[in-house]
Amino acid sequence: MTPDERGTARASGNRGEMNGDARVLEVDGISKRYGDLVALENLTFDVRAGELFGFVGRNGAGKTTTMRIALGVLAPDAGVVRWLGVPLTFEARRRIGYMPEERGLYPKMHVAEQLAYLGELHGMTGADARDSALGWLDRFGLADRRDAELQALSLGNQQRVQLAAALVFGPDALVLDEPFAGLDPVAVDVMAGVLREQADAGVPVIFSSHELELVERLCDRVGIVERGRMVACGTVDELRAGGQERRWIDIPGASGDWEAGVPGVRLLQTDGSRRLFELDRGVDDQALLQAALATGPVRAFERVEPSLGELFRTVIGEAGA
Amino acid sequence: MNARPWSLGGTRRLPTTVLVARREALMRLRSRVFIGGTTVMTVLVLVGIVAASLLAGKTTPVRVGFSGGSQALERTFTASAAALGAKVTVSDIADVTAGEAQVTAGTLDVLVTGSATAPTAVVKAAIPSNVESALYLASEAARLSDAGLPPAAVTSAMALVPVQILQPSTPKDTQNLFAGLAVGIVLWIALGIYGSQVAQGVVEEKATRIMEILLATIRPSRLLAGKVIGIGLVGLLQLTIVGAAALVAVQVTNVAAIPALGVAGILGDLFWFMLGFLFYATAYSAVAALVSRQEEVQSAIAPMSILQIAGYLLVYAALPNPSGPLATVCSLLPPFAPILMAVRMASSEVPVWQVGLAAALTIASIVGLTWLAGRMYTNAAMRIGTRVRFMDAFRG
Repeated sequence: MTPDERGTARASGNRGEMNGDARVLEVDGISKRYGDLVALENLTFDVRAGELFGFVGRNGAGKTTTMRIALGVLAPDAGVVRWLGVPLTFEARRRIGYMPEERGLYPKMHVAEQLAYLGELHGMTGADARDSALGWLDRFGLADRRDAELQALSLGNQQRVQLAAALVFGPDALVLDEPFAGLDPVAVDVMAGVLREQADAGVPVIFSSHELELVERLCDRVGIVERGRMVACGTVDELRAGGQERRWIDIPGASGDWEAGVPGVRLLQTDGSRRLFELDRGVDDQALLQAALATGPVRAFERVEPSLGELFRTVIGEAGA
Repeated sequence: MNARPWSLGGTRRLPTTVLVARREALMRLRSRVFIGGTTVMTVLVLVGIVAASLLAGKTTPVRVGFSGGSQALERTFTASAAALGAKVTVSDIADVTAGEAQVTAGTLDVLVTGSATAPTAVVKAAIPSNVESALYLASEAARLSDAGLPPAAVTSAMALVPVQILQPSTPKDTQNLFAGLAVGIVLWIALGIYGSQVAQGVVEEKATRIMEILLATIRPSRLLAGKVIGIGLVGLLQLTIVGAAALVAVQVTNVAAIPALGVAGILGDLFWFMLGFLFYATAYSAVAALVSRQEEVQSAIAPMSILQIAGYLLVYAALPNPSGPLATVCSLLPPFAPILMAVRMASSEVPVWQVGLAAALTIASIVGLTWLAGRMYTNAAMRIGTRVRFMDAFRG
């Protein structure tokens, strides 16, 4: 089962089915300009129930603007954001947990009091908000700091409180801008676990990150944004399928450009007797293998799965060209 | 398990405006600024009232020393002084030169020398007229006795004319002036403090970026309303405490029986504080929403501060003639009405139509400002970074 099928299977048993549509949060053709600067241009993607959606892109590519629009704190110049098939209302977006890139809580307010306040603002009763706040602080190992002022906490701990602020009211969806930035490896694992858990409970989760390995490991689907456009979107396998294939071939004693006769093949790298080739789309790797066998004994013929990082650089390179 | 105020949340869902107002009020009530500020204002008002009672009541008696033959006057002088309402203390002075030295040094107010029938009063600069009259009565009685009149005849000859007062005059003009000035200063300080607290609260939320989280769940107009209401209630509470202290102090010291320091007068001041606060708080919040850093708040609210200072200076211009044209016109204009009308009401009789007109104009301008502030706040709240231009915030 691919991650995509997993996501769809989960969605079918969840709220996505209410509208007969698994796409719970849809961002449809949004554009945004700041004066002459085009921040977003006709950007479209969707996130399904129970899915972790990773949002990657270079600094200034438009990730934060997209998230602000998805959450309704910023209005797009064109396009629409839908929740369960209908344009996002104020009441619907109050049910989305949000962690802004800039962070933001009251520095002088006590930690648990602050979380409970945000819970109440999102429509909880005082008692429920309090219980939930204490529960999340416990989960993040901050139970002993609940009566401390936020500014007395370390930056990493402030970040955990910030995530707790997005979770405290039991959101229908999560939109998190760089939730992993500045966390130590243990905290990354805790936060990743919480996000996976939320997704498994049917909550669509969108987050942006520059930690491409983490995104690859954690996310069901990935969107790559460049200069305000969505240049690639899908599961990591789908992104791989759309890109070039790579092969390591080891022929001890081989010399010269033996691959020159095979069309659509480029030498990327040489490592002793090992050579790394990139094959254009649709090129049969068996032709390359035959050319290799004709050159000498082939000790290794290895298919290389590009990492998300490599895919990212390729896609960004294409978009920039 | 926990006695913090937030644990009293309860089982009800509260409207967002109420939640914001509650947070604003609780955070401020807990702060040292509120506790210290209330203490300082209360102490200042109490000290002012006690000082006024000391000055107005002249409770320090006039010290009169008698030397030589004039010492026979001491008993009748004390009685006459009491009848004339002069507080005096009497002492024997053995040596005239030493007594004069005491008068010069200020440890004695009046030195009486000479005989009982022809005394001389020695003073440093001036003698209180009722003390002089008491001395005259005492020596006149001595002269009549000396002329052979029996004591009963002397007493009846020296009887004072009884005075019946039909309409007590107002020796209270200075008290009214004082009350008007005090009301003006307290209102000016309170409006300055709480107006700028609203401005700083608005910028705090932009500077700490919590604005983005808040606006994802609450409409800007409700956030603004909650903030203004919460801070306004704290200000009202503080002024009520100060006003109650003033009321009690006035009753205890019995310094004055003027309307400005009565319950109705103080309720009127609280009413004007409310209107003034709503006027300045909404105006402050609109301009404060344009900036993102605390350092920029002062320059952003400078135009409003100048209006407030002008209002303060007008208090001094208006007080000498609270019913004059300058005071009347300015006290009707919304930026100045909350302070000036309160000052006029404290220090003089103001026609009801003028009070009503001033209140109506102020309320109308608050309605307009609320619309303007809500619009500018909504448009500028999410623009963090450089200062937003006024017209950009207005157009959106």
